[in-house]
Amino acid sequence: MVGALAAGVPLFGPGIEAAELTALFPLLTFIIIVFFGSYLPLKGAIPGIAATGGALLVSLWGVADIATGAGPRHETLLTFVEGVAGEGVTLTFGILIDPLAILMLTIVSLISFLVHIFSLGYMNDEGEIDLPRYYAGLSLFTFSMMAFVFSDNLLMSFVFFELVGLCSFILIGFWFREAGPPSAAKKAFLVTRFGDYFFLIGVVAVLGTFGTAQFAGSESFVTIATEALETGATEGMTTFLGFGEQAWITVIGLLVLGGVLGKSAQFPFHTWLPDAMEGPTPVSALIHAATMVAAGVYLVARMYGFYVLSPTALSIIALVGGFTAFFAATMALVKQELKQVLAYSTISQYGYMMLALGGGGYVAAVFHLTTHAIFKALLFLGAGSVIIAMHHKENMWEMGGLRSEMRVTYLTFLAGSLALAGIFPFAGFWSKDEVLYETLVHGLGGSPVLLVAYTFGALAVVLTGFYTFRMVFLTFHGEPRSELAEDPEPVRWNVKFPLAVLGVLSVVAGFLNMGVLKDIIGEENLFLHEFLDGVTMDADLDAAGLSAHHYAEVLESNFAAGYEVAGLSPLGPGALATVLAVVPVIGAWYLFRGPDVDPVMTKLGGLRTLLMNNYYQDEYQVWLATGVTLPIAKVANKFDQGIIDGLVDGTGGVSLFAGERFRRIQSGVVTNYAALLTLGFLLLVLIFALVGGWI
Amino acid sequence: MAVSIEWYLFLSAAIFSIGLFGILTQRNALMFLMSVELLLNAANINLVAFSLYWGNLTGQLFALIVIALAAAEVAIGIGIILTVNRNFDNIDVTEAATMRW
Repeated sequence: MVGALAAGVPLFGPGIEAAELTALFPLLTFIIIVFFGSYLPLKGAIPGIAATGGALLVSLWGVADIATGAGPRHETLLTFVEGVAGEGVTLTFGILIDPLAILMLTIVSLISFLVHIFSLGYMNDEGEIDLPRYYAGLSLFTFSMMAFVFSDNLLMSFVFFELVGLCSFILIGFWFREAGPPSAAKKAFLVTRFGDYFFLIGVVAVLGTFGTAQFAGSESFVTIATEALETGATEGMTTFLGFGEQAWITVIGLLVLGGVLGKSAQFPFHTWLPDAMEGPTPVSALIHAATMVAAGVYLVARMYGFYVLSPTALSIIALVGGFTAFFAATMALVKQELKQVLAYSTISQYGYMMLALGGGGYVAAVFHLTTHAIFKALLFLGAGSVIIAMHHKENMWEMGGLRSEMRVTYLTFLAGSLALAGIFPFAGFWSKDEVLYETLVHGLGGSPVLLVAYTFGALAVVLTGFYTFRMVFLTFHGEPRSELAEDPEPVRWNVKFPLAVLGVLSVVAGFLNMGVLKDIIGEENLFLHEFLDGVTMDADLDAAGLSAHHYAEVLESNFAAGYEVAGLSPLGPGALATVLAVVPVIGAWYLFRGPDVDPVMTKLGGLRTLLMNNYYQDEYQVWLATGVTLPIAKVANKFDQGIIDGLVDGTGGVSLFAGERFRRIQSGVVTNYAALLTLGFLLLVLIFALVGGWI
Repeated sequence: MAVSIEWYLFLSAAIFSIGLFGILTQRNALMFLMSVELLLNAANINLVAFSLYWGNLTGQLFALIVIALAAAEVAIGIGIILTVNRNFDNIDVTEAATMRW
């Protein structure tokens, strides 16, 4: 069907040729708000909405372009270091628009646009101060993410990856006058920086190994690495430390993965994310759905052609992802605050995406990234609406019975929750099922590690259904458990509109790629799969090494990951996933329905304490910082102060002392100078006499 | 027979010694300045004497330059002495020592 579109309406170009605008609009807005924000009506919200709306139009146009045959577009925009005569590396900023990038641009601009509108209700209507700073932060955030998404090389990705981290620091710590947010912002920054440190080394390693950091094309490091493994033509590649080609590729992949794990909040770097709930709720929606956290997974998808070369890296990604999905879901079971539950569910869902990437399901991961962006933004904005209604109380035990007072919020939140829990036919069902299916077939094809990861993922489905509907029932059902919940504050159109848009999308977005029904509707009707495969494009996406088809081919090659696909209909695993999702929802309904809810989770006793304390992850990380790093830093400081600075200070000290003594001969009496001159001259004559042998 | 070169050198050395003695012992700035003139002229005598001895005019040329320089130096020296006198009410060189560290 999409193929037929290609023949019919050739739009060709203007959308993807103007794709830089998706980043330039927010950048311009940022500049405007920084300088004139406090004079603008609504304190800068309007330029922000206009810019993200414009970016959304450009991205949608780009999607239409690619769906009708244009692209991919790969262009260098700025060369800031030129390699001299073939020696050294050339560093550039460029733009790469392929189906993956344009899809992500659309998601980011859509979510950012809706978040801006929602902010009118959450920030402006609530009478917050310092709003220009808030809107400037949102614009810079959107700009950074856009530029990150269309980066055509790893160095540019790194630059904007860091900028994304900085913006999340600014926005999480927006309410810096209270104690919590600055600390949470600092933690988010430091934990992700720790991962980014490895990413930085990875960037240098890529440049050192391949002499280029380009993602696409015949000169890209991905292509060089693939050819080195496939044909043994290793002249384009310099390995270090005595590693073989494949081992060295694994090392580089794992280094870059450090940044990914930090940003995408994967175990053990997930600890910053729940704390980041201290930021304004629209910011949480933006961070979790489209920008900060998505950046990590997107990076792996962007250079997936590189990761498929290393079975070790893929296994680690799959294991970490599967484990994180399960591990975070257990913690979400007992949380009492609405946003905390959502925070852990985000970690868990990104775990699924990593699982899919590690399990060889490139399309599944991108699909889950898309649907998750929609329903998680929806859930956060819904939570924001509840928080407005509850006058900024977040404890679910003080809520209850909100469904009758907040119709729109309830219905949309329910749609988002059904999507998150993976109930047929909501968006999350299709994508999560595809994630699990891809992992399962590759696991059955002879990778036992993937089966372990799959088991974690499948168990997490059960937990997801349970904690999601515990949250829904506690918040919206039963009787109001506080005075605030009896009379919630009404919300306006600017809250309801984004909820409605996202609510509709989280019902229908799954139809993009109904993988479970693959055998019935035919592969050519898996729209997202076809889109990412470049089927709609006139140019050959395989040649650029960017198509889903190409990734699958390399993935199954023996020189690369060597995965094999087991013949298995998706219907069986799909049915299993449905059962796994529905049963806990019914369980949650059984436990948390009715007017008097029994706080049943307290019966878990010691386990609950462990979960409430997040497995003491924070404690051991703080211990690592204060018990290990701090003493080492102190020793280093001693060395620095004593030896390095001591040497410099000593030189200065000696000069100072000598000067102090020598200046005493400057008596100011001209006769003394004359005497010194004479004596000096005599001394010189004497020395010449002795050396020259006159006496 | 011309005067032999040694005599010129003895004269020059004597004048130089007198000048040196002057700058080491005199406190009166004018005497000090005169002593410096003696030093310069001792050098001039040497230059001229050797110029005559080698039959080469370069030495005499240098002597002329030194005389010109000495004239300039005296002009500046006397100017300084006047200023010293104005500031310290005497021209004792050992008292004008306020510009050291």
